[in-house]
Amino acid sequence: MLQRAITVRLMENFATRKATKDLGYFLAVTTLESIGEGRVRQHTGDVLFPVVFSCITFKLFRGDILEGVVHKVLKHGVFLRCGPVENIYLSCLKMPDYKYVTGENPVFLNDKLSKIEKDVAIRFIVIGTKWLEVEREFQALVSLEGDYLGPI
Amino acid sequence: MEKGATLKSKGKEGSFKGKDDSSIKSKYGRKVRINFEGPLEPKTLSSPKYGGKDDTPFPKGYSSKGGKGDKIANGGKTPAKEPQPLELKIELELPENVKCISMMDCEAASILQGIQDQMVILSKDPELKLPVPFDKGLQYAKRGVHYTNPQSVRKVLETLTKHGVSNSELCVIANVGPESVDEVFSLVPSLKAKRSKLSEPLKGVLSELAKLKESANSASQLEDESQQGGKSTQGGKFT
Repeated sequence: MLQRAITVRLMENFATRKATKDLGYFLAVTTLESIGEGRVRQHTGDVLFPVVFSCITFKLFRGDILEGVVHKVLKHGVFLRCGPVENIYLSCLKMPDYKYVTGENPVFLNDKLSKIEKDVAIRFIVIGTKWLEVEREFQALVSLEGDYLGPI
Repeated sequence: MEKGATLKSKGKEGSFKGKDDSSIKSKYGRKVRINFEGPLEPKTLSSPKYGGKDDTPFPKGYSSKGGKGDKIANGGKTPAKEPQPLELKIELELPENVKCISMMDCEAASILQGIQDQMVILSKDPELKLPVPFDKGLQYAKRGVHYTNPQSVRKVLETLTKHGVSNSELCVIANVGPESVDEVFSLVPSLKAKRSKLSEPLKGVLSELAKLKESANSASQLEDESQQGGKSTQGGKFT
């Protein structure tokens, strides 16, 4: 009964916390390794249990190669989403040879008529990431500078 | 309710000596020990920021000539620094107490899918819930799945470890699904230094991976065909 309560509380905390700066976005708990001895907290009467568990998380790293989908096209760049990360910015300066084409459905176009527009999947390299404490989420800055990067 | 955690670890994963030990594994998988007290984030961090170049710390006031109080060097006459190549260095970017073992997208996809399948049963318990990023994470891992059998992919790639390829580099290769050796060296620049040693084994690995991809594709094609075949026989019944 106690184990179940601890497991439920662990998963609840895990789900609520959503992400941390070091580990990235929490996806799922995979195994519960051990539950240590409980310690009573003097003033509140709560009991603290050290719990060791394995989990799967998602984190972007500088230099990582990933694929994202464009969800917003602006004059100076596009926003992509990749997995749980919603705000990935690809600046026009990091899209070599692509030019902004205005219109109802704005796109970035290059000489070979390759398009970067809404809902296009793009392979990019991560230049940097930022952790936002208040929103508990990551933002990233990415680039297409390099071979084999760009729309898929 | 106060919540917090301290993540402190020493040593390798699997050695849980003392209360403060914890070991974290995997970009796509972690082992975490949480004592719910104190601040969650460890105190010493080197967080990568936008445009961060924290791979080579170049401390303030460092004179390239090595002399003390050499103002000329600080004044901007330092030789143009070559821009740091954009390499994946997971071990350097995580704080010391966090150990990470990367996981391939296909491995993560199979685990997360398994959990989702179980959730259908577990969701009868209203107290159990999955974290918000779970769905997006699963979707992302699945979209990249070129292979149906993560274990065979892992086996094939493991042959590269004896040539000094790190686990995170293996994962990038698996996730990208490259078609040529050039693509690998272009996307994983940290391997360029070992190009002469790696080219031959990489060719072998890529052709093995291509076979695994093909078998995955043909398996899904057969599935589609059998579904279509089913439909046509149903059509036949109606006539």
